[in-house]
Amino acid sequence: MPENKPVIGLSWEPKLPNLSSRTHNGSESKSQNQGETSALWRPNSELVDGLFVPPNDPRKLNKFKKKQLKDTAGKGWFDMPAQTITPEIEKDLRLLKLRSAIDPKRHYKKGDSKSKTLPKYFQIGTVVESASDFFTGRLKNKERKGTIAAELLSDRTLADYRKRKVREIEEKNQPGGNEKWKIKGRQSLKRAKQRRH
Amino acid sequence: MGFPRGRSGGFRGGRGDGGGRGGRGGRGGGGGRFGDRGSAMKVRGGGRGGRGFGGGGGGRGRGGGRGGGMKGGNKVVVEPHRHGGVFIAKGKEDAIVTKNLVPGEAVYNEKRISIQNEDGTKVEYRVWNPFRSKLAAAILGGVDEIYIKPGARVLYLGAASGTTVSHVSDIVGPTGVVYAVEFSHRSGRDLVNMAKKRTNVIPIIEDARHPSKYRMLVGMVDVIFSDVAQPDQARILALNASYFLKAEGHFVISIKANCIDSTQPAEAVFQSEVNKLKQDQFRPSEQVTLEPYERDHACVVGGYRVAKKSKSAS
Repeated sequence: MPENKPVIGLSWEPKLPNLSSRTHNGSESKSQNQGETSALWRPNSELVDGLFVPPNDPRKLNKFKKKQLKDTAGKGWFDMPAQTITPEIEKDLRLLKLRSAIDPKRHYKKGDSKSKTLPKYFQIGTVVESASDFFTGRLKNKERKGTIAAELLSDRTLADYRKRKVREIEEKNQPGGNEKWKIKGRQSLKRAKQRRH
Repeated sequence: MGFPRGRSGGFRGGRGDGGGRGGRGGRGGGGGRFGDRGSAMKVRGGGRGGRGFGGGGGGRGRGGGRGGGMKGGNKVVVEPHRHGGVFIAKGKEDAIVTKNLVPGEAVYNEKRISIQNEDGTKVEYRVWNPFRSKLAAAILGGVDEIYIKPGARVLYLGAASGTTVSHVSDIVGPTGVVYAVEFSHRSGRDLVNMAKKRTNVIPIIEDARHPSKYRMLVGMVDVIFSDVAQPDQARILALNASYFLKAEGHFVISIKANCIDSTQPAEAVFQSEVNKLKQDQFRPSEQVTLEPYERDHACVVGGYRVAKKSKSAS
């Protein structure tokens, strides 16, 4: 794959005659893809005689080189790439930061749950169990979900706690009222009705 | 880095003796500092009280109890660790992982994390259990520097079946080399089988007391890791270092107090071992206890034949 290697040099596409309609369609879609992904691809207007000429100015050339380098965590971490953060991934990362609030019986060392910065270099993967793992060491197919958020939502054991906490917070944040006016159970309901008549 | 503590620890009872581990505290690696001709050596984690990581859950065996975090099928986020070549997998629970050199293969039935990259390539990481590996325990104990990093050449004394060696080979990667020395034929067999699939591991079934026997196999190395648990392990380390360790190289040694002198308190044993190391041109810089994972163990890290100039500067 030539577009992966940061090469400075010629990048041009030979103008092939269309052999058939099928190949024509294929090549067109490919060039479109290239335009989105690679730093090397240039529109035809920037090419000189159909050839790409790198900038003459050394400063511009350096800038161009830097732009081509892929953003990674570095050699020490086997070039772990920087990820594009989609809304789902962002949600998962936020969840990981606030995970101490998920389960009351699980305690974590204090992390940076306050800061809003998300990690730049990371990868999202799936745990693969070994063949000899007991059933407690793996999830059923039905329990496997696409994201961490979906996994948490599907966990029945935590749903009660989560709901209670949400209710408590909502109650706390409700604007005031008088405790006496609240209907508590059937007895008070009856009394309220009587009062109304 | 939020590693879970207490009951729901990430790794439960790796070696089966976890049940008796709870409820102790206040021992650990010798507390206090000791000077090394002016440069004080850091001693970490001395006397951590109470129950540590997995102390309560040990008796249940692995994977027991109410739903642990790292189950097959869980989604996790893998991030780089402070140490090169080491990563953290964060999910409901955290684990340290290394990038698998041989994707698709587990060495000792550990869990793996498979990742599909954006460009379609696949990457795999292997979970590193600190209950089975002293090096992992030292990393989780917060050791400053392990010196084992991608591209390093490592001499590993006391390789046993090669569980930790496989992770060290993951860390050093295809550009590094691990020379793994083990005396026992029985565990050496597993070591050799593991090394068949990992091209950067060179298994050596020899007595580490006689480095002259394998001097033709081993080149100069950057780091020596020693986990031999013998009364004369300081001498063994010094002997191997004199043969293979480069000047200003580094050593990592795990000391089991019981194996050296079971009658003395652990801190005194660590102190005497460190003093022995100092006499053999080693300069220990740091000592961490492996307390929640191993009882009465310490990990000492330092340099070898450190140049005089740097000493006067520091």
